[in-house]
Amino acid sequence: MISIQNISKKYGAQQVLNKVNLEFSGGQSIALIGPNGSGKTTLIKSILGLVLADQGQINVQNQDISLGPDYRKIIGYMPQLSKFPEQMKVGQLFSLIKKIRRDIAQNEYDLSLYNDFGIAKMEGKSLGALSGGMKQQVSAALAFLFRPKIIILDEPTAGLDPISNSILKHKVNEARAQNCLLITTSHILNDLEEMCNHVVYLMDGKIVLNEEMKFIAETTGEANLNKMVIKFLQTGKIAKCKI
Amino acid sequence: MQNISFSIAADLLKNKAIFIYGLLLAVLGWGMFLIESQPEKTILALLQITLIVVPLMTSIFATIYYYNSAEFIQLLLIQPLKRRSIIWGIFAGLSSGFVLSFLVGIGLPLLLFYPTTASLHLILSGTFLSVIFTGLALLVSTHQQDKARSIGFVLLLWIFFTFIFDGILLWAMYQLADYPIEQSILFGTFLNPVSVARTLVVMQTEAAALLGLSGAIFKDFFGSLKGSFIAMLILIIWGILPYLFVKRKFLTRDF
Repeated sequence: MISIQNISKKYGAQQVLNKVNLEFSGGQSIALIGPNGSGKTTLIKSILGLVLADQGQINVQNQDISLGPDYRKIIGYMPQLSKFPEQMKVGQLFSLIKKIRRDIAQNEYDLSLYNDFGIAKMEGKSLGALSGGMKQQVSAALAFLFRPKIIILDEPTAGLDPISNSILKHKVNEARAQNCLLITTSHILNDLEEMCNHVVYLMDGKIVLNEEMKFIAETTGEANLNKMVIKFLQTGKIAKCKI
Repeated sequence: MQNISFSIAADLLKNKAIFIYGLLLAVLGWGMFLIESQPEKTILALLQITLIVVPLMTSIFATIYYYNSAEFIQLLLIQPLKRRSIIWGIFAGLSSGFVLSFLVGIGLPLLLFYPTTASLHLILSGTFLSVIFTGLALLVSTHQQDKARSIGFVLLLWIFFTFIFDGILLWAMYQLADYPIEQSILFGTFLNPVSVARTLVVMQTEAAALLGLSGAIFKDFFGSLKGSFIAMLILIIWGILPYLFVKRKFLTRDF
């Protein structure tokens, strides 16, 4: 579904992405991890067209994304910090976005997160008055609203309470089962463990690990993603040589 | 895709700041006519207000709006919308909001109390200035990350165009009085939309003393009819040009 070819991006003198190559397909749930400043958000923003890469090409469903914005019709995005226009009401936000997305009929909306998070009760509140977690809920509900085939979640669970957290995880797993592609970044690896089946590790703008989670677990003999990743990175080169 | 431009414009018209701006203009516009019995004087007072207040308010409001809607813009950018239509929506929405405020606040009383060609030209001038300074404000905002700096820069532009520019022109004329520089000075006047707007209106009135230096040269060179045609043409160019640079920057920047 997404093919990233040789993407590079520089901010000033800093090389944020360095010749990144990735192929993602439906049914994959990618855990995109890496230290702070490793280029995770920049990579995501390049896919979304918010950041324009200096080099390389990104194809979404075999279509070069630089050719037009229509590819974003199948992408749902939940940003890292959900920032919205302060004075706009939650209800207004939803109706505005629905107005923009006329391509999706009213009866096709996916309202499960909208209902589960109780967003109807927030409709009259202005977005500036919502707490960080509530904004995340709104943002998650919006990301899934138009039944996207590709869902990109940037630090989705950071501000969510435990119940909302498990609702979101459930939703992610459901979407994966429906053959959607999900890309999630997080520093909370426990959360990723429950939602993802593939790990991509970025460091200094380069991919150092791109494997099925099952494979990593088998090679390292660890059950915990945190330990898996550390062990795999230490022994990764050796393990690859053996295969 | 025009649909989104319209949505943004409609959203903007609900903005409190634009409402307050319209109210301020209305108090000035309607109030002037109510307290002054000679409309010939009123139009000149309104001209001064238009030349000073409209550029100041539109550029400051537009700058603040652009930065305050950073999140909103980002939200739009991740929708299947062209960047081109988003920036056009912002420009068109802001300009039409300011133009509408101006038309209700100053334009309507002018048409009601003093329906002359001079009034018509003042309405045109105010409309052009609203669009031009919205464009200039967006030009600064899209090229500058920091909001405070942008506001400072926009203020400087306003001071430059309203006060300093004619001073520089006058100084240049005194310094170079021995040379045939009328043509170059004339081209110099094109560089300031505020004096072009002023010239456009004053040429239609008897108050030639208010033309200012650039206006005097302008009228002398072109005469009234051709002059006002050329002035309008220059204002149109001033309205379009900043937007072209805004668009170019908006299409190629990162968010």
